[in-house]
Amino acid sequence: MRNWLVLLIGIAVFAALPLLHDNYMLRLGTTLAMYVVLAQSWNFIGGLAGYPSFATAAFFGLGAYASAMLQLRGIPMVGSWCVGGLTAAIFAALIGGAILHLRGHYFAIASLVIAEVLRETINSAPAFTGGGMGLNLPVMRLGIVQQSELFFYAMLLLAAVCVGAAIVVQKSKLGFGLRCIEQSEDAANMLGINTYGYKTAAFVLSSVFVGVAGGIYASWVHYIEPPDVFDVMLSIKPIVMVLLGGLGTLFGPALGAAIIIVFEEVVWRNFLMIHEAILGAIIVLLVLFIPNGLLSLVKRRLKPLKPVP
Amino acid sequence: MNRRSLMLNAAGFATLAALGVRPGSAVAADADVIKFGAPLPLTGALSPEATKQRHGYDLWAETANAKGGIKAGGKSYKVEIVYTDYASNTPRAVQSAERLITDDKVNFLFAAFGSGAAKAASGVSEKYGVPTIAAAASSVQVYDQGYKYLFGTFTPNDTLTEPLANIVSKNPAIKKVAILARNDLFPLAIAQELEKSAKKRGLQIVRLERYAIGTMDHSSAITEMRVHSPDWVFATGYINDLILIRKQMNDLGLKPPVLSMIAGPAYKEFIDATGRLAENVSSASWWHPAVRYQGKDIFGTTQAFNELWRKKYGHIPDYAEASAAAAGAIFQLAIEAANSIDRKKVRDALASLDVVTFYGHVKFGPTGQITSLEPPVFQIQNAKPMVIYPAAVKQADFKFGSV
Amino acid sequence: MIYLQILANGIVLGGLYACIAVGFSLVWGVLNVINMLHGSFIVLGAYIAYFAYVYGGIHPFVALIPCGVVLFLIGYALQASVINRVITAPVLITLTLTFGLNLILNNAMLAAFTADYRKVNLAHPLGSIQIGPVYLPGDRVAATILAVALTILLYWLLRNSRIGRAIVAVRMDHEAAALMGVDISRINAITFGIGAFMAGAAGALLSIIYPISPIGSSAFLFRAFVVCILGGLGSVPGAVVGGLALGLIESFGGLVFGTEHVTTLAFILLLFLLFVRPTGLLGKRGYE
Repeated sequence: MRNWLVLLIGIAVFAALPLLHDNYMLRLGTTLAMYVVLAQSWNFIGGLAGYPSFATAAFFGLGAYASAMLQLRGIPMVGSWCVGGLTAAIFAALIGGAILHLRGHYFAIASLVIAEVLRETINSAPAFTGGGMGLNLPVMRLGIVQQSELFFYAMLLLAAVCVGAAIVVQKSKLGFGLRCIEQSEDAANMLGINTYGYKTAAFVLSSVFVGVAGGIYASWVHYIEPPDVFDVMLSIKPIVMVLLGGLGTLFGPALGAAIIIVFEEVVWRNFLMIHEAILGAIIVLLVLFIPNGLLSLVKRRLKPLKPVP
Repeated sequence: MNRRSLMLNAAGFATLAALGVRPGSAVAADADVIKFGAPLPLTGALSPEATKQRHGYDLWAETANAKGGIKAGGKSYKVEIVYTDYASNTPRAVQSAERLITDDKVNFLFAAFGSGAAKAASGVSEKYGVPTIAAAASSVQVYDQGYKYLFGTFTPNDTLTEPLANIVSKNPAIKKVAILARNDLFPLAIAQELEKSAKKRGLQIVRLERYAIGTMDHSSAITEMRVHSPDWVFATGYINDLILIRKQMNDLGLKPPVLSMIAGPAYKEFIDATGRLAENVSSASWWHPAVRYQGKDIFGTTQAFNELWRKKYGHIPDYAEASAAAAGAIFQLAIEAANSIDRKKVRDALASLDVVTFYGHVKFGPTGQITSLEPPVFQIQNAKPMVIYPAAVKQADFKFGSV
Repeated sequence: MIYLQILANGIVLGGLYACIAVGFSLVWGVLNVINMLHGSFIVLGAYIAYFAYVYGGIHPFVALIPCGVVLFLIGYALQASVINRVITAPVLITLTLTFGLNLILNNAMLAAFTADYRKVNLAHPLGSIQIGPVYLPGDRVAATILAVALTILLYWLLRNSRIGRAIVAVRMDHEAAALMGVDISRINAITFGIGAFMAGAAGALLSIIYPISPIGSSAFLFRAFVVCILGGLGSVPGAVVGGLALGLIESFGGLVFGTEHVTTLAFILLLFLLFVRPTGLLGKRGYE
């Protein structure tokens, strides 16, 4: 119950952002909501199940492209976003069947490679996807502010649904099973948990919202090209955010996302040429001094991290 | 724990909100300053290009301010350029454009680098009605979106391939063409234009090979090309791709009578990195330091511009550097013609501009892309890019044969 | 005839890939650290070789030892002072740490050297050796031979020196090694240093082949990843086999499917290999 309250208050505070009447703040807010979705989604597979997935960019790009291609063929925008999420989910279910028997590094690499394969495939099929030339989406007949608000609320709603899903999952049998898998997969098997089914469910959960976010993103910026939507940073950043906030926790991913986005913005604004190095230094310090995430500082009884197998 | 995490959330959010009202932007408002926003890929994959653009903008701002600034509506305005780094990441470029307009309150914008990012970010400047000049975007797809506020200083890609194909096809021995193109917006577009230009002149395309971004080896493509013994090899990509391709062609014994590359040979770095292998490589670009114009802009003649550049940066400018400086000079001409810093008026002044600058004759077509330039064809001879065409500034004859 | 040339291209390229990956594989295998700095280490080695050649006239084939030594010291210091603090943490933690360190190093190189591409332009290049219809690029062949020689030397040292045997012991079971009296953190630092040494030496060799820039580092890192998985983690011969495999896949794949599909092909093969044999071509079962 408390969790839902936190979520509601979070949404309420966030939803007031347009009152500032600052379009740039709205853009930042939209970006933040997007990363909350990405980080929270990664937490299903990476935090709960302990599988270091680098497939976030693959789901994001797939959702963006599926949704963009449908919109160009006349499907309404919101419908295309949903199909984007569905495409990512189906893809995750299929590919999960193939790679979820791998552990540790091997799973990490396999999931990383998937984004690369998708990017190159889309790159080399210009007839359908525009290839290296990218895709232009129809520009909407809406005012500046209305557009900014539309995408902001869409992304915020998605982030809320995603965090809500996390609350449900954590309390459920699925959440329990995933935590068992994270502790010891063999033990989980012995407890009679269908580890394969559970892992696939977590992988699909980690894809569906990201796919929708990709779709919204495509409509938001009007123009997508493969290197942007399959950018490896889309896989890495959510991981850093979750580690920062607290692996496997409920609100850690959102907290981590907020802090990284704010840090990035401040550093980026004030240091033209060396903002990357400063961001790097911040990451190094965080890893060295709070390796269990910020929420562990608040919640001492959080169990220490077990090495990912 | 929940309450405390909520507080943390709120704290993060408050910081985020505080960013919007950061002090700093207020300082410029009281002085008579025109602010130009320049989102550039100062870090990341495109950063070598960003440096060139930045140097161009800086030189213009310095020159304009030294000569008393921009005059409009009876006032003199100082030029200030606000840079942001979008780290070669297109979403960041879009974000930068919006930040420059809404937070830094720039009056005008220079577009992001290259065709892809310029295209993505132009949606933002159009939304806000901010006149924007793209100093490094040539593909027509950037300009055919029906936007009113976007202008570009590069002519369409076919204006590079047409004169090149003209010169090469004059030699009846040249029959077979092989093309190696980077699978990326600009390099691919220019390869497709060359394909058209070559076919139009009855040349036979024996291979058109695309390579992925980040390719580290071209030996298969080159070996296969060798089988077809092409008379003309045309390679597109960015400078690092072209350096590697040139070296591997030599390693694998592919020595066509004509080798053309775009875009890279115009840069000093290409000649430095390839050494004698740069000899006889031909190319085309939108500008060349050997052109001669009597400009009405702040820089005056092309010679004067070259000299000013050499004094500040220690080398002769290339087309990318000149185009950036020209974009600034063109803004100045338009603002002074409009006699106002009103965005709409300056936009109209840009659209009706018809004037000679150090960079060439400037007149924008209906899509906003410049139509009046005559891009030079050049060839590297004795480690120098020598102009072959147009006849007015010709420095050398085209040499066939490979080193 | 073309197949002979493609075969030769693939082998030479494979040798270079192997030399990119050896140090990375060693660190991953022994320390269980995915070293995101590896690409930047190679680029730094290449810069040192470049400046040694331009200002000192020292041939990169000679400079490769000092390049390696400088990188060894950097690597040793980094491991001893920073990475060792979290060496027992999960792989994601160390990965994030080296990712952050890489942002710093790469940005520092960008600030110091600019992003302009440079290349060592040998005054006396080795040219091409033509054997029948096959062209062999002299510089590449020489670099490959040196790389392989260095790799064999490393392999020999791991088997026959005291420190080498300690490294192998840590790789197999670091708890047992600690019980046997091996100073784990020192061995960790030396291993990381050796990984950096190999990266620096590789950078010197590559400086005559590839244009150098800080922004090129991710391409090297990515190749190292692929080679490691293909060949099997932590094994020196595995890196050589993985490198050769990738080189051959790229050159024959380019011929059959076209250059643009080469990376996709390599990745699909990689996925397939992970599916059927997750430990790589030469990897040992149960080591993951």
